[in-house]
Amino acid sequence: MRHARIIFDGRELDIDIDANDRITTSEGEVLDVALDSDQISWLPPVKEPGTIFALGINYADHATELAFEPPKEPLVFIKHANTLTGHKQVSYRPDNIDYQHYECELVAVIGKSGKNIKREDALDYVAGYTVCNDFAIRDYLENYYRPNLRVKSRDSLLPMGPWIVDTADIPDANALKLTTTVNGKVTQDGSTKDMIFDVPFVIEYLSKIMTLNPGDMICTGTPHGIVDCQPGDTIVCTIEDVCSLETRMVSEQEYYGDKY
Amino acid sequence: MTANTLVNSKLVCVALNDKAQLAALDATFNEAPYKKPPTQPVLYYKPRNTWSADGAEVEWAKDFDGNDVAEMAVGASLGVVIGKETCRVSAEEALQYVGGYTVVADYSLPEQNYYRPDIKGKCLDTSAPVGPEIVAADKVGNPSELKVTVSVNGTQKSVFELANMERSVAELISIISRIMTLQPGEIIAVGFAGDRVPVAKSDRVEASIEGVGTLKNTLGGA
Repeated sequence: MRHARIIFDGRELDIDIDANDRITTSEGEVLDVALDSDQISWLPPVKEPGTIFALGINYADHATELAFEPPKEPLVFIKHANTLTGHKQVSYRPDNIDYQHYECELVAVIGKSGKNIKREDALDYVAGYTVCNDFAIRDYLENYYRPNLRVKSRDSLLPMGPWIVDTADIPDANALKLTTTVNGKVTQDGSTKDMIFDVPFVIEYLSKIMTLNPGDMICTGTPHGIVDCQPGDTIVCTIEDVCSLETRMVSEQEYYGDKY
Repeated sequence: MTANTLVNSKLVCVALNDKAQLAALDATFNEAPYKKPPTQPVLYYKPRNTWSADGAEVEWAKDFDGNDVAEMAVGASLGVVIGKETCRVSAEEALQYVGGYTVVADYSLPEQNYYRPDIKGKCLDTSAPVGPEIVAADKVGNPSELKVTVSVNGTQKSVFELANMERSVAELISIISRIMTLQPGEIIAVGFAGDRVPVAKSDRVEASIEGVGTLKNTLGGA
């Protein structure tokens, strides 16, 4: 089963989507609408977002691309809900920068609280998986708490969704094809099998430090194949058997409108 | 996260905002891996599992083998509580967006390195008490004139005058609001004394700002 949050017919709804793409609300109402309909506005899929943990340099080939040695322990940074937006929504490119790239990533959504969780039990704490695009702006990198908040905590630069797939429906999260297209052209073509630290490892690692809670998310990093994105570009991040996340880039002025 | 936390949705902390600390580390920051001193505020989050309250016990941290860590440290900061949605504001208008002030204590492992996000050091459960209350902004006056003190077991260990911050409260609000839209109840801990105060198990710690309050906590681990 898949789970999402949408606005449809003026109503904010929690929905389940079955194998036949039939949509049922949490009230039991069946919606007569297709999944690709423009009548649906997709919200970020986690209803009460908690702490968002993101991994840097978690694919060996991406580490090489960035001229880094693969890390010996996870490089983790934190994001908050201001960065989230949904499927088919917009993300912005800041003015006067040279290089902003997408990062297509598998996301594990935590479903129950735990501390000191063992790797072999870790998936019991995962409610499901979704896809995110953890945009980065390389111009803003500084060597202090890198990747710093100026790079990774900006509004709208973590599109996620469209839905969460139950953990039980993904027998092996480390055997999934991962692709990104920009304006229809494939620019990233990898597999979650190349992840350095997998979801159970990261859950064990983080939960030795702190309590994980429902609504926390772990974004697991991106493989080789990042390119600059410009306003007007449409970026689609896809992970096999999970979902495809579409994002349209806009300028900073278009995004902030009156607040610009 | 305790049920009575004063934090709503986000606690942003500013590291390396003590001018004296920046001066002392200047040579280090011109070497690898930093290569040059920071040009922007150095920010980190205390996530929701860290949020705690006045009077609460702060857990003594464990290492990855499950043993008690040898050392912990505490810093204290003025907590700026956002009063209304704050998006891309100028420094001149920034203080109009402050709803109130409080005290934030940041318990952590000793700060040793600023190159990578310090998840192991900073994200410990219950390590960010905030309180004892939120004092309305109009009762506090100019935040740059405040002084933050830390006492351990009744002895004063640290004094930090906010006039010695590299960036003022207004500048920080402006810069941060151009990274992220801040919401009411979100808190910015604007600056800590560069020298964090070592603490031991069972220590009684008071973080105090005259006119804002005294935040009292006890270390666990006994």
